[in-house]
Amino acid sequence: MILSLINLIILLFAPFLVIGVIKKTKAFWAGRKGVSIWQPLRDFVRLMRKDYVISETTSWIFKFSPMVTFATVIFAGLFVPMVQGYSVINMPGGFILFSYILGLGKFFSLIAAMDTGSSFEGMGASREACFTTIVEPAFFIIMASIIALTGNFTFHGLSQVIANAGGLGVLIIVLAVLALFVMLLTECCRVPVDDPTTHLELTMIHEVMILDNSGQDLGLITWAAGIKMVILESLIAALIIPMNLSLGYSLLAFLGVIFGLAVVIGTLESGIARLRMSHVFEFIFSMSSFALIILALVAIKIYGN
Amino acid sequence: MEIYFIALLAPIAGGLMSLFVKENFKLKVVSFFSFISMILCLIPAMHVLLNGESLSMSPITDTMFGALTFVIDPLAAFFICVISVMGFMAALYSNGYMTPYLNKGMNISSHGLFFSLLLSSMLAVVTIQNAFYFLVAWEIMSLSSFFLVIFEDNKKEVLNAGIKYLIYMHISVLFIILTFALLCINSGSMNFGMFREVLQNNVQFANLIFILGFIGFGIKAGFVPFHNWLPEAHPAAPSHVSGVMSGVMIKTGIYGILRILCLIGIPSLFISYFVLIVSVISALYGVLYAITQHDMKRLLAYHSIENIGIIGIGIGTGMLGLAYDCIPVAVLGFAGGILHILNHSIFKELLFFGAGAVYKQTHTRDVEVLGGLIKAMPYTAFFFLVGSVAICGLPPFNGFISEFLIYFGMLQGLAVNSLGMLIVLILSIAGLALVGTMAILCFTKVFSICFLGMPRSDKAENVNSDVSISMVFPMGILALFTLLIGIFPHQIIKALFAPVGMFVNNTPMPAAVSLMQNIAIVCLAFIMFMALLVIVKCVANRKAPLHCTWGCGYDKPNNHIQYTASSYASPFLSMLTPLFKKVFDIKKPKELFPKDSHFSLHIEDVEEAYFLTPFVRSVEKFLSKFERIQNGNIQQYILYGLVFLIITLIGVVFLG
Repeated sequence: MILSLINLIILLFAPFLVIGVIKKTKAFWAGRKGVSIWQPLRDFVRLMRKDYVISETTSWIFKFSPMVTFATVIFAGLFVPMVQGYSVINMPGGFILFSYILGLGKFFSLIAAMDTGSSFEGMGASREACFTTIVEPAFFIIMASIIALTGNFTFHGLSQVIANAGGLGVLIIVLAVLALFVMLLTECCRVPVDDPTTHLELTMIHEVMILDNSGQDLGLITWAAGIKMVILESLIAALIIPMNLSLGYSLLAFLGVIFGLAVVIGTLESGIARLRMSHVFEFIFSMSSFALIILALVAIKIYGN
Repeated sequence: MEIYFIALLAPIAGGLMSLFVKENFKLKVVSFFSFISMILCLIPAMHVLLNGESLSMSPITDTMFGALTFVIDPLAAFFICVISVMGFMAALYSNGYMTPYLNKGMNISSHGLFFSLLLSSMLAVVTIQNAFYFLVAWEIMSLSSFFLVIFEDNKKEVLNAGIKYLIYMHISVLFIILTFALLCINSGSMNFGMFREVLQNNVQFANLIFILGFIGFGIKAGFVPFHNWLPEAHPAAPSHVSGVMSGVMIKTGIYGILRILCLIGIPSLFISYFVLIVSVISALYGVLYAITQHDMKRLLAYHSIENIGIIGIGIGTGMLGLAYDCIPVAVLGFAGGILHILNHSIFKELLFFGAGAVYKQTHTRDVEVLGGLIKAMPYTAFFFLVGSVAICGLPPFNGFISEFLIYFGMLQGLAVNSLGMLIVLILSIAGLALVGTMAILCFTKVFSICFLGMPRSDKAENVNSDVSISMVFPMGILALFTLLIGIFPHQIIKALFAPVGMFVNNTPMPAAVSLMQNIAIVCLAFIMFMALLVIVKCVANRKAPLHCTWGCGYDKPNNHIQYTASSYASPFLSMLTPLFKKVFDIKKPKELFPKDSHFSLHIEDVEEAYFLTPFVRSVEKFLSKFERIQNGNIQQYILYGLVFLIITLIGVVFLG
């Protein structure tokens, strides 16, 4: 019960801080003082209090979709193991439901973008839909390989890789972390896939899909995007952190990974530029290659002799 | 059982009766009788499904082809439910859909009659257990659907599509006859029950029979590479016919494959891998080409190929489970595959009905000229959206349930001690995931280009009302089904115990039921959470002034600056360029003030472009050498007869 509560609190409030830490890191590398890490939360509160303007082209889909996006990330978040490897909903085959629930959110965010009749938003939607087709199969290969290795059908299999594969497990974990990190950059639209702070609509992906959203809707969407980032970071954390730590250490380790990854993302964004759109596909395909190597390693581990 | 016999004949009676009533009552009579038939069918079928005992009846026992036996076993009962309910929905929908054709001198009577015949013959196909009578019913089914396809026979492309369909169906029946002929010769009987022994004693023979049967029935079902008739025939037929053909009739192909599998018992590894791999390819191929299409019904036809592939993946997984003697895999695979048959028939019919409603109001199937229809046609748009979400396999709708069962079956199969199985299953899982995401891309495309944004032409602009209640009502019912199966999967799966039990003995279903209960709880909680959010939003109702869409500073947007279906699919398709044959139609702008310029991209089916067309051409070339023989000269034809008689005579005298 306490763990559920901790999970929910992290799920709901960590996103603002994670975004804040990324901004702070970028400011540090740019030699600026930067805004407070509480600023994203303040922005959110301000957005929720604002009125909004909607496009006259839109239908009920446009108003309905931010709620679907929000609800789906919340529910997907309940499946993910967090502190002490505990997840609120823990069922066999949970990762399938997890991915498909996120898929439902994506479906609605795509049609909401198309609802405005804007060519820019259509462009963003079409790119986002396209990236998903590369990311999802790779994610399924990784999860299925880990299930084959550990025999555990829940997300807990992620933290049992070492126990089942020994030395080879380290390699598998490194590759899985890399693959999930690429997934994180893609799904959350960070550099080098997408630059959330860009000012040119033509090059945007996620930001351009929500050009016409404002007020509460925009608030919900940015919150949801942050939650999604925390969810994907938690998956990486589940791979790295052993499950049998005490509550205090586990909490510390978990928050360390979450904010550590935020620092890594911020550093990455300061260090490199976003890729040209045609090279983005190649970058995301690296996830598929990691996934296939993981599959090969698992096959070697099980049938090596 | 006698009830079922009446149910089987009821649609035919309706069809015949409709010949003698006034024009605008014909389809009402047909739908009334199909309603009666549905009720009468469901009584014995539900009885069999829930109790697991088969019913049988032999109205004609003593003929040269053996007894005409009708058997309702659990597998047949499942298909009877699908056929009768979906048939009735289509009949109901046809009342509204066919109104524009009523006073145009189109032949509604024959349409009604053939529709009834199609229903009856499908009901017969899934229950007859005698090879000869099965083929008779199968032919009636193919022919009646052929006549339904060519309803608008004044259009050339409709006739072409119909003839293509007819040819495919006859290649299909050729293979089926071959299968049954081999079985009959070896078993000495035409009764399905007698085939069991010869199939179970000889693995090689069973493999041969299965492959032949798979080709024959696979052409009907639309597995790649036998799929080419689907994208031609479905757009040509009236929408409710497309719905029945895609939702129900192609499933009789799956039924045939399942029936042979039933007789074989434990399949060999070879055919199990064969089915799984062909199915994965079909699913990917179908959805890939669906993304390239701009014709709504062609797109849906390609999605039928995809979904037949998903059904096949379920069946293939089940077969692998049987072959490796891993019961949970077999149970989950078959349960997923069989449930997907029902699910696909529901949402595919719903989508075809939606496409039909759009066609009726706009007179076009080209999505590129539509747009903004959600305002004029709110109900159609809503139900089409439900169908789209369901077909993408997203929770809380029914498509997810069957896909989850299949996924979970494959995951269970990873524990089987075989490297080949591990690699094939994980790649199939990835394939299924890829199919799911590509379906999302495809249906966000078709839904948003058709229904959202601004109208792209006058055709969409001039629509000012939704379709009539007789068309909206069946869509509503089907949409309700998709949701009900999605949130009460643990109830639905109980009805699958008996059909799955036909393939797997001692089915340990409780595990599957508890899985489904978990999903049901999550889905219900999700729906409640959504409802809560909507209520909060309504209570905190902020005023929202309207403004034109943000155009990056350009404030006179018009309908031509919107994204199109081609451009939406373009980033994805550009990754896979080698898999298509692209046909560009470009007229570049010239001079200082360019007047007419256009660009359009048409993508052809690679199988058709590089294999089928050259093959047909070469056959044509060869056959054209015999053209001289057929010169229209009667005298010469008489001469041929004479020559033939003389040769026969000589043959008889010297050889006989």
